[in-house]
Amino acid sequence: MTTQTAERTPLTIHITEKAAQHIRKFAEQAGKTASVLRVGVKGGGCSGLTYVLDLADAPGENDKVIQEHGLTLCVDKKSYIFLAGTTLEYSDGLNGKGFVFNNPNAKTTCGCGTSFSV
Amino acid sequence: MVRSQQQTTSTAEEYEALTKGAALLDRSAVGRLRLDGKDALDLLNRLSTNQLLDLALGQGRPTVLTSNKGRIIDLLTVFRLEGYLLVLTSAEARQKVAEHINFYTFGEDVHVEDVTDSTSMLSVCGPLASESPPLASVELNLYESASADIQGVTTTVLRTDSLDLPGYDLIVPLEHEAQPWEYLEVAGVPHVSGRVVETVRIMRGIPVHGHELGEDFNPLEAGLKPFISFTKGCYVGQEVVARLNTYQKAQRRLVGLKWGTDAPVKAGAELKLDGQVVGVLTSFARLPTGLIINVGLGYVKKSVPRSGGVGISADGNVLQANLIEVVPDK
Repeated sequence: MTTQTAERTPLTIHITEKAAQHIRKFAEQAGKTASVLRVGVKGGGCSGLTYVLDLADAPGENDKVIQEHGLTLCVDKKSYIFLAGTTLEYSDGLNGKGFVFNNPNAKTTCGCGTSFSV
Repeated sequence: MVRSQQQTTSTAEEYEALTKGAALLDRSAVGRLRLDGKDALDLLNRLSTNQLLDLALGQGRPTVLTSNKGRIIDLLTVFRLEGYLLVLTSAEARQKVAEHINFYTFGEDVHVEDVTDSTSMLSVCGPLASESPPLASVELNLYESASADIQGVTTTVLRTDSLDLPGYDLIVPLEHEAQPWEYLEVAGVPHVSGRVVETVRIMRGIPVHGHELGEDFNPLEAGLKPFISFTKGCYVGQEVVARLNTYQKAQRRLVGLKWGTDAPVKAGAELKLDGQVVGVLTSFARLPTGLIINVGLGYVKKSVPRSGGVGISADGNVLQANLIEVVPDK
């Protein structure tokens, strides 16, 4: 497990303050305030890869761990290859979509925006 | 692997046995992947066209592994057996299929093992296949499976109808490969050569990888629509496949061809209509009937009329062939 405090480097994963607030709010509602945020990808979706967001009790042994805005993010190493440089944002308002992955590795995304290919 | 002690039959007799009786086929080259892990079925469901999540224990189902561009990586048959999935692939594509599944495996509990070389697979095919001794006591509908004892060897029996004729695949560990062959040959089921199998495949309009299936084609033009679920939700390539279907954008269709000329042709030959190239010949064979009757498969533009014929380019000549529709109009 490697731990790093997020710096503004393109090779880490960032979360915006607004997104972090929404994660904390969700964790409180779910009664999981001690959780870490698992960020990853899995096969599927029209374009091949879909994003995964989940609350976990603790990081896995081989996870990359990132801390930003008081939140701990963990990413498995294989997912990290496809997510390095990504910023997790939160979009609200009338056209808001909730959590949005701004992923520079994504070459194409499907029509609904939930899956991508590299 | 081909065991045969009784190769006294002619090609015509083999053809007759396969199309009117029952015959023994060596299908050991067909890829066999064993998938273990609780997430294997869910992963395959996310990567391929058919609905797999409701697959009952012992059942199988064909599904098309597609690229994110909706092109065919391979046509698979997935069987849910006790504790694992058995995935039949094309002979040439088994490594690619395994790599594809591994690429898309992240945190899931999925383990892929290629068991092609550690097992043997033969098939009993033909209208009377179910009456063959080891199968008479095994009643299976299409895409059902069972375990049977053949000469003391536990054999996995899969009903796949791979030639669009009743067909049972028998899979045994490699060290026991001789037993089912010998048992069936002694029982009088004749072995048929790969050449005869290929002829029947083409005659019955069955596409195979490397000829009619591959990343140059999409599942709709290859006639694989029955193996696509349009209601299951997302899978890799779904958006493209759904759009092609909704707006009828498939540009080609697979067709059968039949002609009676003795001139040599080659796979890859152009198909022509009114002097224009309208398609390509992908496979061909001569029926072992004593008459000069050739059958082929190919792709033609969708604008080619469904009734009629096309010309096959052959050494400066154009051979006239009748079209036999393989893909339904809808």
